Amino acid sequence: MKLTRKNWISACGALAVLFLVASQAAAHKEKHTPEQLKVFEEVFLEQVRIGDLLFHGDAETEKTMGVQLSRTGMSCAMCHPFASDTHPHEFPKFQEQIGKFSTLRDMINWCIEKPNEGVKLDSDSDAMKALEAYIYWSNRGSKLEPGTH
Amino acid sequence: MDKTDNRSERLAMQKELGAKGERPARSLGISRRIFLHKSVLAGVGGAAAAGWFPFLNTIEVAQAAQTSFRFAWISDTHMYPREVNTRFVEKTIRAFKEVQAMNPPADFLIIGGDIGQLGNPVELELGAELLKEVKTKKVYIPGEHDWYLDMGKAWEKMFGAPYWYFDHKGVRFIGLDTISHAKDFWTIKKMTPQERMGHMATLDGTVGGAWAAVGPEQLAWLDRTMSSWPKDKPVVIFSHNPLFDYYAPWNFWVRDWREVNEILKRHDNVTSVHGHVHQVLYHEIGKMRSIGMLATSWPWPYAPKGVPKLTKCMVRVDPGDYFDGVGWSALGMNSASKVDNEYVMWRKDIYATATADSGCGDNRNQVLHPRLADAETPPNTADASRARTTEK
Ligand SMILES: [Fe+2]
Ligand SMILES: [Fe+2]
Repeated sequence: MKLTRKNWISACGALAVLFLVASQAAAHKEKHTPEQLKVFEEVFLEQVRIGDLLFHGDAETEKTMGVQLSRTGMSCAMCHPFASDTHPHEFPKFQEQIGKFSTLRDMINWCIEKPNEGVKLDSDSDAMKALEAYIYWSNRGSKLEPGTH
Repeated sequence: MDKTDNRSERLAMQKELGAKGERPARSLGISRRIFLHKSVLAGVGGAAAAGWFPFLNTIEVAQAAQTSFRFAWISDTHMYPREVNTRFVEKTIRAFKEVQAMNPPADFLIIGGDIGQLGNPVELELGAELLKEVKTKKVYIPGEHDWYLDMGKAWEKMFGAPYWYFDHKGVRFIGLDTISHAKDFWTIKKMTPQERMGHMATLDGTVGGAWAAVGPEQLAWLDRTMSSWPKDKPVVIFSHNPLFDYYAPWNFWVRDWREVNEILKRHDNVTSVHGHVHQVLYHEIGKMRSIGMLATSWPWPYAPKGVPKLTKCMVRVDPGDYFDGVGWSALGMNSASKVDNEYVMWRKDIYATATADSGCGDNRNQVLHPRLADAETPPNTADASRARTTEK
């Protein structure tokens, strides 16, 4: 599957236009239209798709985004099919491998750096946000239990 | 090799290969304890009632039964070409060395599939080359990672027929091919061999459909092979995939497992030994016992649903230690004609004693979803849709 960066950019563009329209309406907030909600959802799902590709070791996506998540041939999904065992709903928590109170992003970076021997991501980078989107989306419906081991 | 007096050599190997704080491998003869499944002693009911709780459905018995002969299982080495992933190669070499050093020695070694990662002949050749370390008899069944680049051509050339049987010391050993029967999902989509292999190598992808199967021709062969063996004599059946329905979305099953079971259930003493799941697994279907093997490469997590009740889950693995949660198995036929299995896991404890330490611990609060990419490209076979609905 190809990274549809174009779609992503156009979705962001559409969103920007909607915000512009919304802010011009000033005092009273407009009611949300179904189209608008669709765009919100599409922006999110596009990040899920990108995150899925990164999570499954798609070389083309890594190249496009200028990241290297692994140097061992192992992708995230090889230990975490369906993003299982990532338990995003249990962060933040004390993470024993890191030895301190950590967020999901800290743990993603730990996995990239240690077992995968890849290059750690900027914690606010597009790639990190996409990975986070994919992991959360895959685990939706799990009960929020922050701080659980 | 000297069968009785290689203790110092074995200890030296343990020292060289083992890490600090590591439990010595029992199969190296350093400790003489063996594990017996309680169901062997107390019947299935007792084990079922015990659930997965540790040390209830598996008890440790010192010299409870004499082992009449031993054999070894290694699978899921998943080697890339040597330069890509040295750690998988390192662990494969270690397993081969340990099998060669078994005391008493193994009568044969079964390689249970997934030697390579992407079916690359370079990977398979690396496996064949390293296997020269093991001097005992070797038999082979394929895994999906060995097969779908060239549809098994290189594998069959190197390792022979994908299914077979032989009789050894009163036991019929059968090797099944559960790999080569995927329905053609590639031609219509004009996939390259590499793309086809890529889909088959993705555990949580459903493009390949419910690919694991025995198929009608092999079922007929299995029927004949079982019919020509007395019903009360032991049968050990090797397959890459589990011969029951575990978690279809990850293809932890064989789609015609019911037909296989129809044939096997006529016999009183059948043990199924399988790879592919990369985890400790135990199940009983009628009179058949089923034992899941570790990978040497990496452990898969337990599926969120469908872990057999009789399974005592292995430990939650430390992702920072690539020797944790992996290894191989030393098996034996005991004097009661039952298969004893010893997991030779390379780190710490095998079984969890508390939920917080259990590989199944997450399943109490883990709702998972198939990939969006696959939902947008629906699986191509009727079997695959069945796969989704049979999930428990
Ligand atoms: Fe495997
Ligand atoms: Fe496999």
